[in-house]
Amino acid sequence: MKRILSFLLAFGLLTGVAWADTIKIPVAAPFTGQLASFGEGVKNGALLKAEEINATGGINGKKVEIVLEDELCDPKEAATVATKLANDPDISIVVGHLCSSATLASLPIYRTAKMPAISPSATNVTIGKMSPYYFRNVYKDDFQGFFLAKYADRIKGFKKMAIFYEVNDYSMGLMLAFMKEAKKLGIKILGTEAYTSDTTDFKPQLTKFKMMKPDALFIPGYAPQGTLIVSQARSLSMKNVAFFGADGLDDDVMVKNPDAEGLFVTTPFLPDKAGPQAAGFIKAYKKKYGKDPNWFAANTYDAVGLAAAAIKAVGQDREKIREYLASINSKEKAYDGVAGKTYFDKNGDCLKDAFVKEIKDGKWVSAEKQLQ
Amino acid sequence: MENLFEQSSLFLQQLVNGITLGGVYALIAVGYTMVYGVIQLINFAHGEIYMLGAFLAYTMVTFLGLPFFVAFLLTILICASFGIILDFVAYRPLRKAPRLAALITAIGMSIFLQNLARMIWGSQIKSYPREILPALFYRPALSFGEVSMTWLQIFILSITVVSMIILHLIIHKTKVGTAMRAISQDKVTSALMGIGVNRVISFTFAIGSAMGSMAGILVGLYYNAIFPTMGYIAGIKAFAAAVLGGIGSVPGAMLGGGVLGIAEVMGAGYISSEYRDGISYAVMIAVILFKPSGLIGRQMGEKV
Repeated sequence: MKRILSFLLAFGLLTGVAWADTIKIPVAAPFTGQLASFGEGVKNGALLKAEEINATGGINGKKVEIVLEDELCDPKEAATVATKLANDPDISIVVGHLCSSATLASLPIYRTAKMPAISPSATNVTIGKMSPYYFRNVYKDDFQGFFLAKYADRIKGFKKMAIFYEVNDYSMGLMLAFMKEAKKLGIKILGTEAYTSDTTDFKPQLTKFKMMKPDALFIPGYAPQGTLIVSQARSLSMKNVAFFGADGLDDDVMVKNPDAEGLFVTTPFLPDKAGPQAAGFIKAYKKKYGKDPNWFAANTYDAVGLAAAAIKAVGQDREKIREYLASINSKEKAYDGVAGKTYFDKNGDCLKDAFVKEIKDGKWVSAEKQLQ
Repeated sequence: MENLFEQSSLFLQQLVNGITLGGVYALIAVGYTMVYGVIQLINFAHGEIYMLGAFLAYTMVTFLGLPFFVAFLLTILICASFGIILDFVAYRPLRKAPRLAALITAIGMSIFLQNLARMIWGSQIKSYPREILPALFYRPALSFGEVSMTWLQIFILSITVVSMIILHLIIHKTKVGTAMRAISQDKVTSALMGIGVNRVISFTFAIGSAMGSMAGILVGLYYNAIFPTMGYIAGIKAFAAAVLGGIGSVPGAMLGGGVLGIAEVMGAGYISSEYRDGISYAVMIAVILFKPSGLIGRQMGEKV
């Protein structure tokens, strides 16, 4: 009810101006289901950017309308949503998808329909290479895995680790990248175990980990399972084992769990480490939503900005938009967003910084030591 | 030598995990098997009763601020009456219809209740606040080397065992239990002997639902996660347990739950955690292939 009201309210405020026409920008992410809280950041970031664009005259006099497409991070749902969008002649670019598995499911559909898409958050390594129509303003997992292994080694000094991964493209890709770098650094991987997203009982695997006696357990999964894993590990009295994860664990459900104290994660965006270009965004976001933006909000804000910039420059032609995005290929031409500069390599991937944040006294804080 | 010790404590710990999980499956499986026993209906909405139990208790402790044990008992009572209503609304009008009609209604009720819960509570995973149980519950009660068992695990196991004993006594020592057994053998003759068939069926639903909702709350506490589709997943597993033990047989459901729980945990622990559910279902299929009536089920001929 509250959500409907706020939509109506936002709509009412926006229709105060007489718009000649609207440009629809669809945002595909999980807005319901287990990962709905990721989608919340995505939605907030996208709506804030659209509001700002419309307040300054829209795109060439046309109003931007964000269309939220819920795909639950489920590959099947993502394919349905992608087919719908690809067949809509009014749509010339998609912002999404959020999860790597959903992104990979939508990829062939967009490729066939020559639909450009910008994912704010899918980090699986293979995405960029598979389609010239997919772009992303987030780092890839080979970088994230490399970064995490180095952080665990240099800053934390972990020597023996185990990995608990979910059976999906994001988690497995990240695990492989992490293991590759860990091997180079001489970190010993004692073992790996898997789980699926509908699991609630992690004790059999955790019991095995407990017997391996690692310094730390790496959980390259998503927060809904991550929070259960740390709690069940504590109830098995797994002492002296540190827990860490990647950007999939960066969610408020973790800080609400007292067992997650001390957990650290990588994240593409930290409000207090972001440059001066983000100050206005953070302030506006806080004012509108009453909390700090997370990385999903920041990256989606930038992705919508990129999409709008492309439409503004070349109009609503799918092929021209793709060419425009592909031409942003050097630091000088970079899109200067709130989460850093975005420019694409030949695969449509980009290089971005990663940061580390940890849970201290039940709150997310930037880790004291960052890796530069 | 130390390695051997570690291996055996690993095994013991997995056994403890498996027995707890199996106990929960058994609690749910009993509901399937009892209803099947009296009206030969596979009540697919039973998993949803289990889910509703978890959510009702959650609502009582968080929104109404009731103490946990009060909420626990209240939820069981509410869910028991809910089971009766479910039978009254969805199954009783179809008592004389072909069995397939009631089965489809059961699937419909399952989908309906799942979506109702999604509308009321949302689809994100929720957790019971930890403060609702005394801190003692989270401490290890028994530890033997690396093996530990928390008070919560003991609590779950003892509730399971106690309710199974009570159930056994109800079925074998009371009048209504005798009536239940009579109906399961022949509904028409039982009615001719003056048994209020519908009343006994209602009672069966009440007992089954009470045990299902109890399992829901216990699982919610143990794994710290409740969500609208939890009933579907657990329901399928418990149904498998009931079939494994021999559907229609209450001791069979208990045994089936235990076997399935242990098979699942051992499969994940020793073979492959990626194929955990696959392994537990493979065990079930293997048993059914060699013993189609289940571990301790009766031969039922053409009665499927």
